[in-house]
Amino acid sequence: MGEFDVQVITFAKLVLLSMVPFVLAAQGTMLGGRAGVFNVAQEGMMLVGASVGFLGAYFYGSVLMGMILAMLSGGLFGLVLSYFTTSLKLDQFVTGLALFFIGIGVSTLLPKLAIGITLSPPLIPTLKEVPIPLLSQIPLLGPIFFSQNVLVYASIILSVVLWYFLYKTSFGLALRSVGESPQTADSMGVNVTFWRYAAPIVGGMLIGLAGAYLPMVYTGTFTEQMVKGRGWLAIALTFFGGWSPLSIFLGSLFFASVEVAAYRVQVGGSAIPYQFLLMLPYIATILIMMVSFRRARVPAFLGQNYDREKRSL
Amino acid sequence: MAPVVKAIKGFLPYFVAVVAAFVAAGIFIAAMGFNVLDAYSTILFTSFRTNNGIVQTLLTFVPLTLQALAFTVPLAAGKYNIGGEGQLIMGAIGATAVGIIFGGLPAILLLPAVLLAGILAGAIWGGIPGWLLYRFGINEILTTVLLNFVAFGFIDFVATKVWSDPAAGHPTTIPIGKGGFLPLLVSNPPLHAGVLLVILVAVGVYIYTNRTVGGYDLVATGANPRAAQVYGINVRWMFVFSLILAGGLAGLSGAVEVAGIQHRLIEGLQSNFLQLGLIIGLIAKGNNKAVPFVAFFIAVLEIGAGAMQRTMMIPVEMVFIVEALVLVFILLSDVVRRR
Repeated sequence: MGEFDVQVITFAKLVLLSMVPFVLAAQGTMLGGRAGVFNVAQEGMMLVGASVGFLGAYFYGSVLMGMILAMLSGGLFGLVLSYFTTSLKLDQFVTGLALFFIGIGVSTLLPKLAIGITLSPPLIPTLKEVPIPLLSQIPLLGPIFFSQNVLVYASIILSVVLWYFLYKTSFGLALRSVGESPQTADSMGVNVTFWRYAAPIVGGMLIGLAGAYLPMVYTGTFTEQMVKGRGWLAIALTFFGGWSPLSIFLGSLFFASVEVAAYRVQVGGSAIPYQFLLMLPYIATILIMMVSFRRARVPAFLGQNYDREKRSL
Repeated sequence: MAPVVKAIKGFLPYFVAVVAAFVAAGIFIAAMGFNVLDAYSTILFTSFRTNNGIVQTLLTFVPLTLQALAFTVPLAAGKYNIGGEGQLIMGAIGATAVGIIFGGLPAILLLPAVLLAGILAGAIWGGIPGWLLYRFGINEILTTVLLNFVAFGFIDFVATKVWSDPAAGHPTTIPIGKGGFLPLLVSNPPLHAGVLLVILVAVGVYIYTNRTVGGYDLVATGANPRAAQVYGINVRWMFVFSLILAGGLAGLSGAVEVAGIQHRLIEGLQSNFLQLGLIIGLIAKGNNKAVPFVAFFIAVLEIGAGAMQRTMMIPVEMVFIVEALVLVFILLSDVVRRR
């Protein structure tokens, strides 16, 4: 294997590794949006997921426990969002911002209360690579695709399952109809309220898990503001991916490539000051939206609250 | 009597929301084993116990008011500016650049130039999402947020590569010229004239949005863009203009931090002013007359929070959660009123 092959493998492997938080958070956003609930609290929810996931893994000594708790906390945020918007009919964006603030506060408060303020934060074991027998032996493809951590596999499978669910099952059709025209869905006997609760809750669980991935793979500990805008990027990614699972998956690969490329150039040393490389993912996102935003297909009822007693919408 | 009764009725939901938020958080504080009454008297009264408390509160009031206005002005046009943080940073960079490059100028020239540079840099940073919205129809919520992260890169670059002060342990620039410092109203503890400036700006913004034709166009655009368009208002331009104006306000908050407090550019000088500004703007429900008062209230809580962490070891985030809960309960009061 030549030097070039090694470079390619390392790069591709890192891209798949870095894709996970984008895939999970964006698919979670997409799920809620497909029911018409536009979540903007991702950044706060991912922080809570990171914080709770880290604390769970630290106190129970089990990464799995951390993930479960992070998903539960994300689901709780999803539940509150659904209740405020679907049942109380409050503005989705304002509610989302309020949850974003609460997420920021809770995420830093919890470690301070549970562990205290320390100079060297405790570490949790990071997620291990789980090579798949036989498949990981394939040259080139093996090391890239089949010796990754479990959440890399999970996020690939999740994207395919979500695609199948949305476009090939009647439940998926019901969910999509709620996000396009809840009045029509309601008259056809679809339980609009059920979907407007279920989708944001499951979506919230995915977003919480996306947050937990950060301490579990990147740092081994929780630091304030560690999400670094990935929650907001996930929203952009959802628009860019046209609210469809497979395009979102491809978009995540692209976002992750930019992130990894910026990082590799920085480590490799370059004439460009590293600060400009750190800006790259955000600028690239804006450039992409310049091309794709108008054409993006968006659920027609996104961001609105459904009131079945209203005459016209 | 009638206006008094009306005022009390209008104020009541706010009072109930604040009390409810404090009670909810109080239960949590008590459960953690702290003395709730001590904690709350520290939060509420630290600002008023000493001269230093009053001054610190006013100094926090300044950026909070400007950040909140940077949110409420575009909100009047129906646009959300979540980029006040980046606009503050770019304003601070602009102010610092002018303050260092023309450091030898006398105060009468340098101080206005520093403040103007801050406003201009912020306005440009707010104008970019405006242009992206105008030209490409990109949702301004996303672009304003993403530009915050771009601004983080710029401030780090300026503070470590361009005018870096190697003696400081943290990314910091060399100081701006003395002529760029805001004059002090009180010298000990130092209170700069930015406080008066901000009150003037807040009054100016209120007059603009509520008492002028231009401001009416802005509010009409937010209330019903289609009707405003039919009436002949250039709605798309109003969107852009509101974001430029917001950027200028946020940029000014950065310039005031540099000219009034730090006298140099320090990475992290934006603190959490953006989040607090959004909370203030939302609690005030976009009402520009209410913004300075809510900002003062939040400034009191913030100063109290710092004191509470120092004396009682209760993390400051507790107060941030109280502030977010006040917002939540005010939202809920709308639900109650609807019924």
